[in-house]
Amino acid sequence: MTDLTNALQALTRRELFQTVGTGIGAAALTSLLQRDAAAESLDSAKADPARRTHFAPKAKSVIYIHLVGAPSHLDLFDHKPELQKRDGELCPDEMFKGKRLAFIRNQPTLLGTPKEKKFTFRRVGESGHAISNLMPNLQEVADEITFINTLHTDQFNHGPAQMYLLSGFERFGRPSIGSWTTYGLGSENENLPGFVVLITGQVLGAGSSAWGSGFLPTVYQGVEFRSQGDPVLFLSNPKGIDTASRRRVLDAINTINQDGLANVGDPEIATRIKQYEMAFRMQSSVPELMDIKSEPLEVHERYGTKPGKTSFANNCLLARRLVERGVRFVQLFDQGWDMHGSVFSRLPVKCGQVDQPIAALIGDLKERGLLDDTLVVWSAEFGRTPMAQGRNGTGKVTKAGRDHHKEAYTVWMAGGGVRRGFSHGATDELGYAVAENPVHVHDLNATILHLLGMDHKRLTFRYQGRDYRLTDVHGDVVHEIIA
Amino acid sequence: MIDASTLRPFRWSLLVGALAMCVARGSLALEPAQTADERVEFARDIRPIFANHCNECHGADRSGGLRLTSRRDAFTASDSGEVVIKAGHAKQSILLERITSQDEDAMMPPEGDRLSAKEVALINRWIEQGADWPKDDAEGPTHWAYVTPTRPERPDVDQHDWPVNPIDDFVLAALEEKGLRPSPSADPAVLLRRVYLALTGLPPSPEQVDAFVANPNPEAYEAVVDELLNSPRYGERWARPWLDLARYADSNGFQADQLRESWAYRDWVIEALNKDMPFDQFAIEQLAGDLLPNATIDQKIATGFHRTVTCNVEAGVHPEENRVNQLFDRVNTTGTVFLGTTLECCQCHNHKYDPFTQTEYYRLFAYFNNTPLEVKQKSGVTYDFVGPKMSLPLPEERLSKRKQLSQRLEELKAQRRAAFDQQERDAWERELRQGLKSPPEWTVLAIVAFESTGGEEHEILEDQSVLVSGSLPGTTTYTITATTKQRDIGAFKIEALTHPSLPGMGPGRGDELRTNFILSEVDVREMDGSKRRAVPLHGAQADFSQDRWEVANAIDGNPKTGWAIAPQFGKPHWASFRTAKRVGSGEESTFVFTLEQNYGRGRTLGRVRLSGLVGDPGAAELPEAIAKILRKENDLSDEERRLLDKHFAKSNPRLSAIDAEIQKTTRQLGQLQPATTLVMVEMSEPRETRVLLRGDYLNKGSEVNYGTPGVLHPLEPGLPRNRLGLAKWLVDPANPLLPRVTVNRWWAEFFGQGIVSSLEDFGTKAEPPTHPELLDWLAVEFVDGGWSAKHLHKLIVMSRTFRQSSAFTSKHLKVDPENKLYSRGPRFRMSAEMIRDNALAVSGLLATKMGGEPIMPFQPEGIWRSVGRNAPKWVEERDEDRFRRGIYVVWRRAAPYPSFVNFDAPDRAACVVKRPRTNTPLQALTLLNDPAYVEMALALAERIVNDLPDASVERRAAHGLRLCLAREPRQKEIDALVALHEAERQRLRSDPKLARRIVKGARRGGVSDVTLAGELACWFHVASVLLNLDETITRG
Repeated sequence: MTDLTNALQALTRRELFQTVGTGIGAAALTSLLQRDAAAESLDSAKADPARRTHFAPKAKSVIYIHLVGAPSHLDLFDHKPELQKRDGELCPDEMFKGKRLAFIRNQPTLLGTPKEKKFTFRRVGESGHAISNLMPNLQEVADEITFINTLHTDQFNHGPAQMYLLSGFERFGRPSIGSWTTYGLGSENENLPGFVVLITGQVLGAGSSAWGSGFLPTVYQGVEFRSQGDPVLFLSNPKGIDTASRRRVLDAINTINQDGLANVGDPEIATRIKQYEMAFRMQSSVPELMDIKSEPLEVHERYGTKPGKTSFANNCLLARRLVERGVRFVQLFDQGWDMHGSVFSRLPVKCGQVDQPIAALIGDLKERGLLDDTLVVWSAEFGRTPMAQGRNGTGKVTKAGRDHHKEAYTVWMAGGGVRRGFSHGATDELGYAVAENPVHVHDLNATILHLLGMDHKRLTFRYQGRDYRLTDVHGDVVHEIIA
Repeated sequence: MIDASTLRPFRWSLLVGALAMCVARGSLALEPAQTADERVEFARDIRPIFANHCNECHGADRSGGLRLTSRRDAFTASDSGEVVIKAGHAKQSILLERITSQDEDAMMPPEGDRLSAKEVALINRWIEQGADWPKDDAEGPTHWAYVTPTRPERPDVDQHDWPVNPIDDFVLAALEEKGLRPSPSADPAVLLRRVYLALTGLPPSPEQVDAFVANPNPEAYEAVVDELLNSPRYGERWARPWLDLARYADSNGFQADQLRESWAYRDWVIEALNKDMPFDQFAIEQLAGDLLPNATIDQKIATGFHRTVTCNVEAGVHPEENRVNQLFDRVNTTGTVFLGTTLECCQCHNHKYDPFTQTEYYRLFAYFNNTPLEVKQKSGVTYDFVGPKMSLPLPEERLSKRKQLSQRLEELKAQRRAAFDQQERDAWERELRQGLKSPPEWTVLAIVAFESTGGEEHEILEDQSVLVSGSLPGTTTYTITATTKQRDIGAFKIEALTHPSLPGMGPGRGDELRTNFILSEVDVREMDGSKRRAVPLHGAQADFSQDRWEVANAIDGNPKTGWAIAPQFGKPHWASFRTAKRVGSGEESTFVFTLEQNYGRGRTLGRVRLSGLVGDPGAAELPEAIAKILRKENDLSDEERRLLDKHFAKSNPRLSAIDAEIQKTTRQLGQLQPATTLVMVEMSEPRETRVLLRGDYLNKGSEVNYGTPGVLHPLEPGLPRNRLGLAKWLVDPANPLLPRVTVNRWWAEFFGQGIVSSLEDFGTKAEPPTHPELLDWLAVEFVDGGWSAKHLHKLIVMSRTFRQSSAFTSKHLKVDPENKLYSRGPRFRMSAEMIRDNALAVSGLLATKMGGEPIMPFQPEGIWRSVGRNAPKWVEERDEDRFRRGIYVVWRRAAPYPSFVNFDAPDRAACVVKRPRTNTPLQALTLLNDPAYVEMALALAERIVNDLPDASVERRAAHGLRLCLAREPRQKEIDALVALHEAERQRLRSDPKLARRIVKGARRGGVSDVTLAGELACWFHVASVLLNLDETITRG
């Protein structure tokens, strides 16, 4: 059997080198979830991230915050005094006639941000970009942020738009941006998945497709870390089974599998043995990671976290702990931003939940020296209309909200090689359409991959005879926002 | 996929004028040397120009969309609908525009030398003369997959005694060519397990293994194969890959992802496979069963194949867009499943690699374009799934029950008419009107104390309402102490109020969008010194109650029912309850209110206010709408009268009793409704089909009609011009793709990989077949053998190729590591469903009940989180349904069964031809810790103990291994299990309670016999090892 064992090792090593030799995407084999029996030999390759990237990366990991439902960017980041001035007027024809809107059916009125103090904007940081007082903490870290004021999309229903933004295609079946990233770059931590998903509120309409791997191998799909029950499904041992007992079970499994390997010689068995070892390690590394009690009091005060709770703040802190441990892509989904009605009473509540922890996350990453190679993204499937949905905006107390809007909206990024304190692109005076420097969702995705050191045109996967990309056949990197 | 030309259709149209001028001037200036009437020869004059200047990008392996090596391509309208070469009209040919353009963005070639004046003139004249491009010239050889297969000769082989059928000839010939020999035959027990799993997805029992091992001759093997092919388990096993292709699921997908009824189609597939329905018929019935003459119910059910597509009913969806997306899916899935072809590219433009055009795509599209919209605006922004469905026949016994109930309903209605007394009704109205004139008054009670079991925080607001905040427990009970100086209180009111600090304004706390609460039970006690005296309540009223969550539930003594208010979210509500006796002395009285909220998921009250009523409760309880009617002096409308009558009936015990009976009977009748299934239905007026430019449903191009791709076999003129015609065209024996694509997928099910490894694509970019002749031989054999799947499957499992040992040798690792040559038997990890089915079978839990509604076995909480309205609930099965095969497990697209997902099951939102086969730690965690597998491990432990009541640990361990692996165990394996058993026995001895905890924890569904706990707990660990072995989850 020594002959067989030797051949086996030669094979796995050769296969690995072959695939690594092909460059991007080959990290598949080295990534945590698919490490091979002979993967140790790759440690040198692992230390050299350039081997996996097309060019030197600016960012090593991504914390991608998706505000599910789409926040009212016009009341947060894209200040429109003219819209406030004309609040209550019927909107100009060109904003309605011949346009398709999700809900508004009759010519709507314009809806300006209220002039009350809590809604006013303040110009902050070097860019002088105006941020709403609804986000006072974010104002403080404005110097770290690049705003993209002119993102636009092609879809205006939640599910399709979420898939379009996150997978580059409006229907099911394509890999998500997080799985493309781990497919390209692998993970840097042996004991954790490369792509982790954290959720507050209802799951978004696109469902698990939003972090699915589409036609990529399923090892690249996001793994949801849950804040109730097992953080990773089936992580904890059955009742009455302690670690020692579990270890004995694993040893028995591995002994028998080893014997099988010696008899049958299938390299897959060697991989299976590795996976069981890794599962065992995950059983301690994941709970350790999820246990934020160990963080000092000042950290909890800074983020507004409460151990044991499900909250967006807790997820922000977890996101930091994840990237600290080398997780490649952390995606936060926060539900509750779809404000078709009562936007001005509901928006402050949601902002209250996210403002402090997001600002804390950026500041914390910076102090730990992680912000330079961690890209933080604030994004949503689309924006919201400058026109009112529901009752018009003339009354003092209004229940009006804003409809889905695909023509232009604001997202922002911080760290990870984007310019500090920068504002890109501009919308027209009513915030309806792009006035200058449009950025399509494909451009945004191309830029994110670029920051990670990958050329979106070369990060491909052959499926059904075609080389697929995250950006389909589109996308231009927005070089202006890169530091 | 898109070449430069398609990216600039805009600019083109803007520049047309300018270009036309250039061309005109150009042709003037470039008067050719040859005389104008000299004939231009394509092969001599034109093709060299293309070869020199164009074919680098526009050649056979083009990167540009247009292919100038193909006559067919060059004369087809380009993606943007413009004509590349219009014979006889050079000026209308884009080709000439581009080669003469001065515009940097438009000119061709974009780099390198431009065409000389002479060359341009030649092309100009060639087009003017009719652009003669001889048909047989420069088409290039046709891609192998587009040529109808013929039966190849069996190759000669050296090792004559090895092959048992032609499959072996082809495989052996290739092996010999590489200087390899086949592997020896597999161990009989291993082979038996392999063929059982391959054909039925279930393992053999130890008895079946013993019988075969005792006499493993070829006849015995064939008898086993025949038996397995005839087993009903065969259809269940083979339905799984087909349902992946058919993207069968039990929900709509997208935001709401509600469940839909379509399982009759799943059962149809199982049944058709078990019957070995010829594949041509199998395809026809699924694509167009509804259009067959005198279509049977089964044939209509079969059309569920194309009704499985996802459907978006999220608020604000555009139904037509949804319909067009569904059509794209139908066309693309048809292409993938029956042609192994990716047609999707052609939605927007001509296929870049394969010879399919955008127009051809929309010709196929036309076949499917006659089905109705499946989404309809229900009200406001709510949209509903309304696609056509068909009722399934009701079984006899249900039918008679239904008749009975209908009769009962008629009787009740007659009783109701008799019981209604108009005078009584009028007196009731008079009294109420009187009462309203001196209205009774509600007075708010002062809050003294608030306690809750859920650890929430609270605040008493100025209006004496209690605002709850802080932690959000799933369930809670509020105990509120309040005082009042009122006297003779006849009713209490509980208000559920809104507040800006509550998610979505409240009144519930649990959810931003669905701000519901469920008030399960209300209890009121009056403090009498230190004693608490119960205040019995009755006559519950509310401003609004959710369907089936009537306010009366809050005082029915049942903690599982309650009062709720969906969908009237975001606004205040109230409930009132009459007291049996008047309470309150006029001095300060103290009342203790207990508000139980047991529903879970934090559906609890956010802000509560309590009031007491002095005066006539009847008038006070009137919902505002009724009070408003009664205050009116003038004539009431019919609707207003109807509302009054309804309210009267509610408050009248006689009538409300009958009404309750009527409601109950109606509900029972409703439950006896026949199940339905989704079917294809053709509209009477066919839709007009137009090319959708760039795939945009609002951007319509030229009209197209039914038709099939030109590169494939012709469409027989006699075929009907509808889906049935398309289906018949697909199964035409001349179709080069269908039989190859189908047998290749089956081959992959048996060998873990296809002869063409890209199972999903047979186009020009497909991987070439490893054994082209074998593929063709199988394809021809399939068609000639009457399209019988079972015939093909039998041939494959009877082959010696299939029956080889799957052990690797060092030579294999060097020469054939991926087993592309089949130098050994197949060995690969089983599918998600098969792993579970196998574990259920070896643990003795498997229930073989077939068909019917999807099942919900155990799954962890929190998987079926709501992703929108009407979220279905997971109701864990407690009977045999818990242990039925995976094919019957409900498939919800937003949340497929989690242990299946961990083993690479797709979400079935789109057609899946090939599941990935990964090897991950999450799989280890699933088999070790998923309570479903823990339960199976315990059952397996029980089986091991019970099968051999007095046997040694060693014998029992060997028995467990035999149950899971079929073969004789090796000593090393037994030793490992015995050692584990001993270690666990030691540990349990030191902690006797532990065994019971382990057994109780593992046992979720079945009976609980814990007397054997100590023994079972030891064997539980062993069983867990057995279910986790590589070999247990591998078909080796």
